[in-house]
Amino acid sequence: MHKIYKKTGLMNQRVVLLITMIIALIYLLGIFIWGCCLGEDSYAVNFDTKFLPPSGEHWFGTDNLGRDMFFRSVKGLSISMVIGLIAVAISSVIAIVMGILSAVFGGWVDRVVNFAVDLCMGLPHLVLLILISFMMGKGVLGITVAVAVTHWPSMTRMIRQEVLQVRSSQYVLAAYKMGKTRWQVAVKHIIPHILPVYFIGVTLLFPHAIMHESSVTFLGFGLPKELPAIGVILAEAMTHIVTGKWWLAVFPGLMLLIAVIFFDLIGEGLKHLLNPNTGNE
Amino acid sequence: MLKKVLPMTLSALAVVGAIGLAGCGSSGGNTGGETTGEATTQAQSSGGGSLKSSGDVTAFLGTSIFDNSLDPVKGSMSYGYPFVCNALLKVNPNSEYVGDLADTWTISDDALTYTFTLKKGIKFSDGSDFTAEDVTFTYNEVKNNQANNENVDLTNLESATAKDDYTVEFKLKEPYSPFVDVASRLQIVPSDAYNSSAFDTKPIGTGAWKVLEYTPNQQIILEANKDHFDGAPSIDKVTIVYMDQDAAVAAAQSGQLDIVMVGSTHANKTAPGMTLDRFETMDVRQISFPMIEEGTMKDKDGIERKVGNNVTSDHAVREALSIGINRQQIIQNAFNGVGKPAVHFTNNLQWATTKTWSDNRLDEAKKILDDAGWKLEGDVRKKDGLACEFDVIAPGNDEDRYNLAVAFSENAKDLGIKINVKNASWDDAEGLMYSTPLVWGWGQYSPTVIENLFYSKNFLTGYSNVIAYNNPKVDEAITKAIDANNEPDAIKEWREAQDIAEEDYPYLYLVNIEHCYFINDNLNVSKSTQIPHPHGHGGPIICNMKDWKWK
Repeated sequence: MHKIYKKTGLMNQRVVLLITMIIALIYLLGIFIWGCCLGEDSYAVNFDTKFLPPSGEHWFGTDNLGRDMFFRSVKGLSISMVIGLIAVAISSVIAIVMGILSAVFGGWVDRVVNFAVDLCMGLPHLVLLILISFMMGKGVLGITVAVAVTHWPSMTRMIRQEVLQVRSSQYVLAAYKMGKTRWQVAVKHIIPHILPVYFIGVTLLFPHAIMHESSVTFLGFGLPKELPAIGVILAEAMTHIVTGKWWLAVFPGLMLLIAVIFFDLIGEGLKHLLNPNTGNE
Repeated sequence: MLKKVLPMTLSALAVVGAIGLAGCGSSGGNTGGETTGEATTQAQSSGGGSLKSSGDVTAFLGTSIFDNSLDPVKGSMSYGYPFVCNALLKVNPNSEYVGDLADTWTISDDALTYTFTLKKGIKFSDGSDFTAEDVTFTYNEVKNNQANNENVDLTNLESATAKDDYTVEFKLKEPYSPFVDVASRLQIVPSDAYNSSAFDTKPIGTGAWKVLEYTPNQQIILEANKDHFDGAPSIDKVTIVYMDQDAAVAAAQSGQLDIVMVGSTHANKTAPGMTLDRFETMDVRQISFPMIEEGTMKDKDGIERKVGNNVTSDHAVREALSIGINRQQIIQNAFNGVGKPAVHFTNNLQWATTKTWSDNRLDEAKKILDDAGWKLEGDVRKKDGLACEFDVIAPGNDEDRYNLAVAFSENAKDLGIKINVKNASWDDAEGLMYSTPLVWGWGQYSPTVIENLFYSKNFLTGYSNVIAYNNPKVDEAITKAIDANNEPDAIKEWREAQDIAEEDYPYLYLVNIEHCYFINDNLNVSKSTQIPHPHGHGGPIICNMKDWKWK
């Protein structure tokens, strides 16, 4: 990716990066807003249009109940994004609190946090998600809680690392010497410093959360069948692949894939721009 | 940057594409989407290959045969189509009880003693003679180990005694006219050779087939029993295979199987050298309507349960739905037209009511709702602020039931009734069934289904009478039917119970389903000796397997 930007001779790399990020943002925000505004009528059951292949009228074709797959996919992806948003909000708060606590207090607090991180990362992620979702009774609540409380460990590590680094820097030590309290130091020096890391981390968590939501739903432990979630759509499509209804799986799958790649692109782009070493290229 | 994007993209691809591998648990056995996809292509390119016209038969009959042990003592094959063992009675194509191992039977006037005279000269496949002692052994074995057998209930049996080598006498604790049904379901095992663990996979019986090999969740290979008392099968070997529905359809299209059970979604498919045939069943799909107002009650285990539904407890709503919807249209939409409209249990059952009526009476139904105070406001009716709206649960991984519920919900929109279709696992559905309408499947010879569905005391005991139906007249008819000492009287009462209950519209019958199979054009499955299929997810076609012939 790094190289791609360098080879473009026509434009400043920052501009290229910004344009890519804007395109990604438009795609994601577009789907998000459109999906949230879509009423049930746009993907309603219509038995006269069962199993239509993609056409001008139905871009992604229709399924066995005659529902428009394009609108179902848009709605599904937006539902995934809402869940991703909630999950990321909760996970990142957990991460920031745990990361700062562990770095600032050190000692046994640090050991406990590190142990929790190791514990969480040591378990297969999907199994943990299924377990939590199942315990919470599946459905919207189950999957949201599951995704929300399992995505903090790696970010906690990142933040802890950052805080440790800032804490031992000269200006922080000087601030302490000048009589500032721990709280003042944390608010004035530490939090502003870790914000870039936080934003990058949040953006990069997003695709993970969406992917995990879709996978768990696909496996039947997540969103209920009556919601047009991507996982549900893909699971349903499996039944009809053998009879050649390829469009049921391909388009929704591609939409998910593109969304995940775009999120990643934005995250990496942010990192590129915010990192002092690459930011001025 | 590439480092990060690549694993992410790969994992995304993994979900999008190869997800089939992990999907086995989720959608009722739909593994290996890709493999089956390939198989289809092969099938199409090779034009189907050459189809067999002699030799062994290989069949896919769904997977429910593999669900449980093959031991009759543990309830195996007790739905009317056993192949290794025989019961005292069996059901003929007219759904009448006739002798199988028994020749004749009599019922005492007090309805407490059932005496069966057995056929002579019958041998088990291990060479030993079949006598009354085997019958008493089997019945006592089941009675003493009732916990292992949830299909045949003998708790009402006082004693089973052999009067002589070919006469068996059963004494009951209380009159129970469906005991003839019990006698048609419990198959007899040899008293000398019976071994509880060996019989799980290799039972010995008097039937037309012997188990040659049983591999759990793979295949059952059956060999013809040339000494079968009712004539030897003309086919030497039948292999029943376990696979996914998708894989089976693909295998049919490539000519690898001779019989393939398919769901109604595949009813418009073709396979070279095979013809799609439909079979009559006694299996109906119906929706339960909770009859009481919302509240909570304790079930038989003392657990607090949510019961009742404020919308479906209104007679007008139930009646309007029952007469107003268009069943033929629903079947067309949900099942590609496979199945027959049903307004009660099927006419191919001896005890089912024969009174019938037409549906799709939209204006009449709307008037009933208007008169009852359900006024149309926008798309949905309302009465005193309560919207005419409720959930319907399509339980389990049954795509057909889900589609049926959706088609029903679409049809009910014309009446101004909003129905939200939900899918739930059976475990979750059990928690909701007392308060939420649910799509059920019932289909059996035994009239005890009427008792299950309507007897008031069965409420809160499990799957029976989940709607809290309570009608003293129906209870009385059911009691009379069970106490009857002859079949005609019992049948009369069973019908009476249904006719009285029908006026309350407690259940909404939708469809009498049909079983679809792709069958090799060279194979004759003797449709004339097939019994109407009971509820069996594809298995019942084997009911007359010994009559199958290559053309």
